[in-house]
Amino acid sequence: MAILEEPIKGVPVIKNYIGGEWVESKGELVDVANPAKCETIAKVPISTREEIDAAVEAAQQAFPDWRTTTPLARVRCLFRLKELLEEHFEEVSRIQTQEHGKTIDESRGETRRGIENVEVATGIPSLMMGYNLEDIATGIDEYLIRQPLGVFGIIGPFNFPFMIPLWSAPYAVATGNTVVIKPSSEVPLSQRSIAELVDEAGFPPGVWNVVNGGRTVVNGMLEHPDIQGIAFVGSTPTGRDVIYKRCGETGKRVLAQCGAKNFMVIMPDCNVQRTIPALMTSFFGNTGQRCLSGTVLCIVGDAAFYNRFLDDVVDTASKIKVGYGLDESTQMGPVRDVKKKEKILRYIEDGIKAGAKLRLDGRKPTNLASGYPDTCFLNATIFENVTPDMKIGREEIFGPVMSVTRAKDLNEAIEMANSSNFGNAHAIFTTNGKDAREFQYRVESGNVGINVGIVAPMAFFPFSGMKDSFFGTLHTQGQEAVRFFTLSKVVIQRWL
Amino acid sequence: MNLNTASEAVSFAKELETESAKFYENLAQRYAEGKEIFLSFAKENNKNIVQTERAYFGVISDAIEGCFSFKGIDTDNYSIETTLSEGRSYADALNMAVALEEKIVKFYTDAAEVSKSLMADVPQAFERIAKKRNERILKLKSLL
Repeated sequence: MAILEEPIKGVPVIKNYIGGEWVESKGELVDVANPAKCETIAKVPISTREEIDAAVEAAQQAFPDWRTTTPLARVRCLFRLKELLEEHFEEVSRIQTQEHGKTIDESRGETRRGIENVEVATGIPSLMMGYNLEDIATGIDEYLIRQPLGVFGIIGPFNFPFMIPLWSAPYAVATGNTVVIKPSSEVPLSQRSIAELVDEAGFPPGVWNVVNGGRTVVNGMLEHPDIQGIAFVGSTPTGRDVIYKRCGETGKRVLAQCGAKNFMVIMPDCNVQRTIPALMTSFFGNTGQRCLSGTVLCIVGDAAFYNRFLDDVVDTASKIKVGYGLDESTQMGPVRDVKKKEKILRYIEDGIKAGAKLRLDGRKPTNLASGYPDTCFLNATIFENVTPDMKIGREEIFGPVMSVTRAKDLNEAIEMANSSNFGNAHAIFTTNGKDAREFQYRVESGNVGINVGIVAPMAFFPFSGMKDSFFGTLHTQGQEAVRFFTLSKVVIQRWL
Repeated sequence: MNLNTASEAVSFAKELETESAKFYENLAQRYAEGKEIFLSFAKENNKNIVQTERAYFGVISDAIEGCFSFKGIDTDNYSIETTLSEGRSYADALNMAVALEEKIVKFYTDAAEVSKSLMADVPQAFERIAKKRNERILKLKSLL
């Protein structure tokens, strides 16, 4: 199969999208590299405080008119955006692969998931409805209406450059708010593409803004009095200690979706043939760079089952084809950059020193298709005998590393999973309904998988999460996003 | 070549449909007695591409095993012969078409079988196409 054509040509300089205009930044430019080829594919500005302030001002100015635009008229812009995204489906997917490194299947999956959020948000005329009750006392009625709040900041991570800002932005603008999006400066091209389509879709100037950059932009959002709330997806230290904390101090709404350490519990009665591909996707999909990835494989059962099952897992993982994501045969792309690779390598070294058994050593990318530098590539790595006191057993590695542990029964497996500080997406693989229910009932995880390795909630369900995986009250997506982006105003009326 | 990913499987299916459509268009030019049916097959091939792509692009998700769904499918087992030398009879052309359809049916059936527990919508689309192409084989044989 041929390598698919790259949509990004040359080295474009990314501009900010502020008040409906593409604005050149005065900030320093940094390179955006394609991690598979180690080539610079764009230059992105680290925008200044004045630029984030200008974007917030544009969004604040757009708010009064947008807020009074009818919900039906607002979602017509989203319908147009949805159509444009479908028209550009392949192009935006390939851009994700080019800037992030993920495989084309994964990028298309990300595009689909992003578009689904736009689709759900087009239901705002229904989703935003309040409720009422006549005669709460004789002749007195009470009702609730949902109102937009103003400008929201949306801060995206590097691992899903297209989809994650769409967990929030469509709901924010559909409910009548305006947004300023800060993509990860490592992967700014996807959000540039979306903003181009937003522009074409006819959103009024200032409703949807994109400012590229780093800490200055984040701090600008956190400190700006006109920002009503922040939707953040990223690491736990930043989400908890910076975003959540400072939003609390300044009275902003906040949702911070953060890191994870997800346990995949394997029961001896699982369907092995179906479970293995699900585990490959879970642990090694997106090169392990996602908060829904499996990270600890907890096998329940006797030694014979354990050995047989793990042999299958190791054998399959050892054959994963690593390469450039625009090569359709690639099953696992590179990690995003060399610093991330070095961090993963440090975790592997740490696992070896701590006494875990290195069952599959992925430090040298032996399955890499020829012609690509191995700078950012890794193969799948599998450790056995991992314990929770080891760093690889308790910290988020964010790479293609599987830590294997054993439990004597389901109870012990659940206790192990619950001992983690994180609670994002634990899963069980079994054909026993009672065990599945027991797991679902007791496991401390906002998203729970039953024979599903990537527990990614659809757009009409909240992307849940708990413990150190989430800080806030309401989550992105679906009804929870509608509530996050609206004020519930209660009216009690009496006409004498 | 072994297929690894859903993207590869869909591209390979598209290749088979495109190649076989060209084959039928060629037959339609050369054999007036079968022109109508050959052109209808070529047209249907394009619909098959649309259906397959719709299934794939409609359900592909980061949560589904797209990169691990098509293990064990070797494209060498499904290579089709589409070159019909000059002077061959109508019956030869029909026999060649039957052989081509049998190969393509085998691809769709095998690919659906290995992937149906993982990417359900794509193998379902494959099964529907295999069924339609089996009907083609009967039609072609009835013309012999």
